[in-house]
Amino acid sequence: MKSTQEERRPIRVLLTKLGLDSHDRGVIIVAMALRDAGMEVIYLGRRKTPEEIVTAAIQEGVDVVGLSSLADAHNVLAPKVIKLFKERGIEKELVILGGFVQKEDIPQLKEVGIAEVFGPGTKMEEIIHFIEENVS
Amino acid sequence: MYEKDKPANIKRAQESWEEKNIKQFENERKKEFLTESGIPLKRVYTPLDLADKGFDYLKDVNFPGEFPYVSGITPTMYRSQMWGITQYTGYPTPKESNEWWKIQIKAGAPFIVVAYDLPSQLGFDPDRALSQGEVGRVGVSMVSQKDWEVAFDGIDLGKVMVSQVYNAPAMVGVANYLCFAEKQGVNFNDLKGFCQNDILKEFIARGMFIFPPVPSIRLVVDLVSYCAKHVPQYLPLQVCSYHLSEKGANPVHEAAFSLSNAFAYFEAAQERGIDIDLFAPGIILLGTCNHAHFFEEIAKHRAMRKIYAEVLKERFKAKKSESQALKFFSGNGGVSLYQEQYLNNIVRNTVGALVGALSGIQYVNVRGYDEAFGIATNEALLTSIRTVQVVGYETGVMDVIDPLAGSYYVESLTKELEERIWKELKNIDDRGGALKCIETGYFQRKIAEDAYKWQKDFESGIKARVGVNCYRSEIEERPVKIYRCSPKVEEERISDIRELKRKRDNKKVKKAIDEIRATASAEATGSNNLMPPVMEAVKAYATTGEICDALREVWGEYTEISVF
Repeated sequence: MKSTQEERRPIRVLLTKLGLDSHDRGVIIVAMALRDAGMEVIYLGRRKTPEEIVTAAIQEGVDVVGLSSLADAHNVLAPKVIKLFKERGIEKELVILGGFVQKEDIPQLKEVGIAEVFGPGTKMEEIIHFIEENVS
Repeated sequence: MYEKDKPANIKRAQESWEEKNIKQFENERKKEFLTESGIPLKRVYTPLDLADKGFDYLKDVNFPGEFPYVSGITPTMYRSQMWGITQYTGYPTPKESNEWWKIQIKAGAPFIVVAYDLPSQLGFDPDRALSQGEVGRVGVSMVSQKDWEVAFDGIDLGKVMVSQVYNAPAMVGVANYLCFAEKQGVNFNDLKGFCQNDILKEFIARGMFIFPPVPSIRLVVDLVSYCAKHVPQYLPLQVCSYHLSEKGANPVHEAAFSLSNAFAYFEAAQERGIDIDLFAPGIILLGTCNHAHFFEEIAKHRAMRKIYAEVLKERFKAKKSESQALKFFSGNGGVSLYQEQYLNNIVRNTVGALVGALSGIQYVNVRGYDEAFGIATNEALLTSIRTVQVVGYETGVMDVIDPLAGSYYVESLTKELEERIWKELKNIDDRGGALKCIETGYFQRKIAEDAYKWQKDFESGIKARVGVNCYRSEIEERPVKIYRCSPKVEEERISDIRELKRKRDNKKVKKAIDEIRATASAEATGSNNLMPPVMEAVKAYATTGEICDALREVWGEYTEISVF
């Protein structure tokens, strides 16, 4: 019984805006959708630096970190998040990126360790499905 | 028609028509037809609906230029003056922006709306750590009078209107504008630009806030009252419903929340003893004219004009018609445009422009068709200017004032929206007004709920978007050219700013900044205006970052409350 209960522990997700970009319509919708899908969602809010995000993720012990960026700073700031996780000895954190990301940027973002990039037009269920499939 | 068709006759005819067609009604496309605000729509509207709503032409519409200004804010509207056409743009550097703005002016749209980059909007100079990766990305990096000298080189501020989408540091933007106009020798009486300066909607939706609400409102009131006295034709406050709509607010929430923000500014001005008829004429509403839902968007503009006029007259005791008549600068939103089959966005823009024309707006701005891929290219911006010109000059829709007035449907919808917006305004008053609703997160939560509902309706196909969730194409279409800010811009801007800080008279800067700090520390009154010391600082080439830092020291920064 105990192990079943443990398996059912809700997935914990930290969602946050990344950098100075304030477009948060999308990330708040995603937060609501993940919550309705049974996940525990912590939304950190706007204007968060990579340092603040990584510190919060470690403190909260989340399974997934979702970064939201729509103002073209992702190439500089998203890899910093991954780097900081590595520096703190965390290699397996599932970090996903959503918002407005140019298509040609996606391969290099994945190479540094962003697990997936969800652009405009992504359905909420695609994000839910991806998280459920990839959280070990 | 009215005289001949007595209501009883129409009612009888309607009943028999409904009886006759009852089977056909069962085969309609949808069980219910709803507007974006969720207003259920009837199959058809008749004089009976106007009678039900107690429609009264003189009270509810009236002639153009007459209270409550529903049909239009002037007696002649577009018959004497077409709408002002503009584009919201800013390329990464002052120089590159200057090049585009000159093209835009030549294209017949001598009205620039400056899009700043995020660090400039948040009062961070390019050399700050927090600016890293953000400089020039979504607009022009422009933080000093030196930058203005480059950005507006060869652009006569006496002839070209300049509007700034600038909020928390709005005062610094206007000070730079006035300072540059002075250098060009332009008389302040001839300046006709705008500044957004609507900090309340930043807390609710757009997010570009710096200081806490109370000192933020002080800056707004200081700027508006300064301009009323010194730059009489300038509009120093655009109260924005646009960003609330972009964030997901349905039209009723969009209208009610933005109007309540406007009323909060008026209250703040009155508390400081500033005459409403000096303050209110400087205000314009930045509205939305999206292609969906066409009639509701038009009815919304009409209902907002009515409510605004009534409140200004009755609650704020405004006497001048310029105070009571609500001016609109409307555009369609970036959210209404898509990457998929992106050329369809030109059609959405066209319909949006038509909504604006039929709504009686004063200024219009439709987006670039490629905006879903990045900052719009010059080609897309030119197409947007041409789109509104075609609607304005070719279709004839602007030849008659308020052409949909008297439509059983549009008048019923206007009345219905008016009732719903009033109900929400009363609810906001019961909750303690706009500021309280921001502090408690009420506005933010309502908008998030609307946005989530919209998303679900969109994903389930209830809200159709051609090429996006229906009639999709197998082939992915992308524009040949997508605009992208060069990563080198950041280094260039950092070295520009450092050079400026080395070369200017730093003693003069320090003195001006000290004066700003002292004025900000003193109590806000009708005479203790921050604008004069800010003008002195920008003249001495102080940067936006330095001025904002001084204000941060005095007032602190706003921490957003969580609404999730």
